[in-house]
Amino acid sequence: MQELKEIIVPNDLMAAKRPEEVILREVAECSFCDNAAFAIKLALEEAMTNAFRHGNRRDPSKHITVQYDVTKDRVEIVVQDEGDGFDPDQIPDPTQFEFIDRPHGRGIMLMRSYLDEVVFSDGGSSVRLVKHNR
Amino acid sequence: MMAMQTEELNGGYKGDKPFSIEVEHRPEAVVVWLAGSCTMTVAAQLGERLVQLASEPAPLIVVDMAGLDFIESTGLGGLVAGYLRSRRYRNEVRLVSLQPSIHHLFELTRLTQLFRVFDTLDDALAAEPIGP
Repeated sequence: MQELKEIIVPNDLMAAKRPEEVILREVAECSFCDNAAFAIKLALEEAMTNAFRHGNRRDPSKHITVQYDVTKDRVEIVVQDEGDGFDPDQIPDPTQFEFIDRPHGRGIMLMRSYLDEVVFSDGGSSVRLVKHNR
Repeated sequence: MMAMQTEELNGGYKGDKPFSIEVEHRPEAVVVWLAGSCTMTVAAQLGERLVQLASEPAPLIVVDMAGLDFIESTGLGGLVAGYLRSRRYRNEVRLVSLQPSIHHLFELTRLTQLFRVFDTLDDALAAEPIGP
């Protein structure tokens, strides 16, 4: 099994861009199409925003850990925050009629829609994202 | 309706384009031009600006998204917040010229049920208002 590279950033949205840029450069180098790159960028932004806002609760003393591996076949990313976690099954489906006009709650749905695998662990404080290169 | 591109060549790494919100007050509408990448670091600005505009006495807000190449869920939420504020004042928010990847995002989230989407700014400005 390939060992994942790791980047640890402060709990700050500007700092959270750094792993995104590193990963997307490798994605481009591995000839993923633009649609796949869009999907990876979107899912990673949703995961990082969730870690910053909901996991670490905007606490600047906390950190976000990103582990990743990019090959010509697939991208694997693990985003880990230092929060208490949550139950992703308790998040309502934002496409249901009664939730469509809510400003929040679309992040997890978008991750699941755009990626091949989205798996939460550690009580919800870690999420593993996988996108295959087809 | 625009079709999602099914095959694209890799275009190399593309960093974020600077995000901008330009506003023009016209007699019949407020026109908002979005351009660049609405990423997690700037997305909150969109909701704040739209809610501000939707709180003003304008019957119609038209958001032209032709120059927008990326938006994430906070940005989408900002559009929804603008929509909600506009409904409070019986106004409407219409969207124009979504790029295929953005249009696909709106279909997936079913936000096309909240917003009317038009191909051109002229079409959006000329459309009849929705009922109460």
